[in-house]
Amino acid sequence: MQELQDSNPNAALAMKCTVQKDKLADAVNRVMKAISSKTTIPILTGVKITSGRDGITLTGSNSDISIQTFIPLEEDGNENAVVHTPGQIVLPSRLFSELVRKLQDEDVHIEVDSRFIAKITSGATEFSLNGLDPEEYPNLPIINGSDAFRIRKDLLKDMIKQTVYAVSVTETRPVLTGVKWMINDGKLSCVATDSHRLAQRSVSVENGEDSGTHTLVIPGSSLNELSKILDDDDEQLVDIIMTTNQILFKSNNVQFYSRLLDGNYPDTSRLIPTESKTTIDLGTKDLYRAIERASLLAKEERNNVVKLRAEGNQVEISSQSLELGRVFETLVPEHFEGDPLRISFSAKFMMDALGKLDAQSVRIHFVGPMRPIIIRPIGDENILMLILPIRTF
Amino acid sequence: MDWQQLSKEQQTVAKVLRHAIDRKELAHAYLLEGPAGTGKHETAMLVTQTLFCEQPTDLGPCLTCRNCRRIASGNHPDVIWVAPEEGAASIKKEQIAYLMKEFAYRGVESGRKVFIIEQAEKMTAQAENSLLKFIEEPHSGTLALLITEQIHQLLDTIISRCQVLAFVPLSDHAISRRMDEQGLPKPLLKPAVALTHDYEEAVRLCKEEWFAEARSQVLQLLKGLCESLEAAQLYIYEKFAPNFDDNQKMTVGLDLMLYWYRDLLSLHLNRREEIVYEDQMDRLKEQMLSFSSNQAVQAMSLILDARKQLDAHVNGVSVMERLVIRLGGTR
Repeated sequence: MQELQDSNPNAALAMKCTVQKDKLADAVNRVMKAISSKTTIPILTGVKITSGRDGITLTGSNSDISIQTFIPLEEDGNENAVVHTPGQIVLPSRLFSELVRKLQDEDVHIEVDSRFIAKITSGATEFSLNGLDPEEYPNLPIINGSDAFRIRKDLLKDMIKQTVYAVSVTETRPVLTGVKWMINDGKLSCVATDSHRLAQRSVSVENGEDSGTHTLVIPGSSLNELSKILDDDDEQLVDIIMTTNQILFKSNNVQFYSRLLDGNYPDTSRLIPTESKTTIDLGTKDLYRAIERASLLAKEERNNVVKLRAEGNQVEISSQSLELGRVFETLVPEHFEGDPLRISFSAKFMMDALGKLDAQSVRIHFVGPMRPIIIRPIGDENILMLILPIRTF
Repeated sequence: MDWQQLSKEQQTVAKVLRHAIDRKELAHAYLLEGPAGTGKHETAMLVTQTLFCEQPTDLGPCLTCRNCRRIASGNHPDVIWVAPEEGAASIKKEQIAYLMKEFAYRGVESGRKVFIIEQAEKMTAQAENSLLKFIEEPHSGTLALLITEQIHQLLDTIISRCQVLAFVPLSDHAISRRMDEQGLPKPLLKPAVALTHDYEEAVRLCKEEWFAEARSQVLQLLKGLCESLEAAQLYIYEKFAPNFDDNQKMTVGLDLMLYWYRDLLSLHLNRREEIVYEDQMDRLKEQMLSFSSNQAVQAMSLILDARKQLDAHVNGVSVMERLVIRLGGTR
């Protein structure tokens, strides 16, 4: 072990640990996803390293999301790290992540003195970095285990995929830029809407002992980031813990925190019509492709509108561009019930919705040319996509 | 700055804010308005630290706890400071977007968020309008502090939705105390403040070489006047006039002379705290023995007469010449 030779005698040792380079590089890489160079809070340009009794924790944050990775001292019988003196430090993240990647030796030693100067040695290389005061780093919420539930990772990813696309991208109603999560009685339901379309999905979850109702609104951008960092071992369970200001997703040794949106989410249940005048069953892919083709012309126009005509057990998809021409396509539905109908809608919205569904066929409910269109995959009552039609006459 | 100092300098502002904090009745938005150097920034800091401090005292925040330190260093995630970048004509669009986003999110650590917008008049009208929506329907636990020197450049709609806290210009004493803290030369402080009654102007004056020169020349002239009229007159032609070469400078010179006689009068009336030439106390006391308060008043009125002439575009040197002769008569 290297000794502290040239350091100031007044500067006591504040932290000392040794980590395997690969483990450290991997961990830094993950937390870097949360760190932004454009932050207005100076301390958040850094990565926080905490050595504790049972391992080393790295934290990165842009204040909206925070990612924490944990390197346990021992894992599967291999020694990952040794902590000599527990402590913490904040180091400039970009520099640190690059230098860790470029180090040669397998082990990395980190020593920090009380002036926040970190000496990083690996093989014959020695870096001295000026760190920042870890006390300045924001607190992550204290986890209260009672408001928690678990969900399978692949299911969580699906849920995010099937709802987050519908969030609003404009800031006029900030609360709509998030997805509403409601946990009630072992059931989690998610809703997203930008007031022209809506996506809704519910699943049952393994609930903790707490059975109360929780409603929170998670920013869509945070959920997108979350799906990016969740790796592919789909069988794994993700622990989800709710606090007043933040929500925590915990999987293996990675913790993902997101801030929540403030404000009241509108009541969306009233938007969804309960009756249905025309019901059509169609193959998901067939319909998707037909709309995609129709949209070739439609997207040349300003609003990307396609028309659907359902009559006499036939569905006709059409669109036209005044300059370019027109397209017609006829689909034979698997099932047709109710009144004939003509309706227009945005090709993009319909394709967004259909593209998120894995089911073979979908059932589409129409109430009238000016009422919402409801799309549900056949065989799963928990998913619902809603699109508002467009008036074309 | 603590609450005691604030209530000394800005009594009304301190009272309003302190009461609101104590009774937990803070409005959702305040507009801190007033001339430069009146402590608006410091007040915003004080309010914020008081709200977040872990161990606040009656005097104010402890300044040593984690929250206080992080607010001071700009690292507290629930305190959002927005100020135009240096030299920028307006607050940038990204800064406003960041502000809007922070308004929509819940706090990072606590249920409380504080937004501070410095030089709020530098927001574009668009930015102000988007801000409006948020100060119209505030979420609970948010506090917006807008700081401006030019309240009239803000939209009326913004002003009407904030509680306006008007910062009064500082008293001369407060200005000189603050300048003293800045380490500016003491003998220049008080004359500069007496001339300008404004923090920034006074600081500027103190840093000017000409002003230091002017002050010592005025004192030299007054000293000469005590000794002989002829010497004083010669001094005007040789040294004084070339230095005070335009009417504006001459006015400053006259004012500096005026303060000398005012000091004599203050000394007679035993109002020592009013004395401008503190470092010349010995000479003032000496002259007081031979100079009655009536004479001081008379001298002051002569100087004011001279100022009037100067304003009427009489030649500066002639005015000074006449004044010195007349002052010689009051001896």
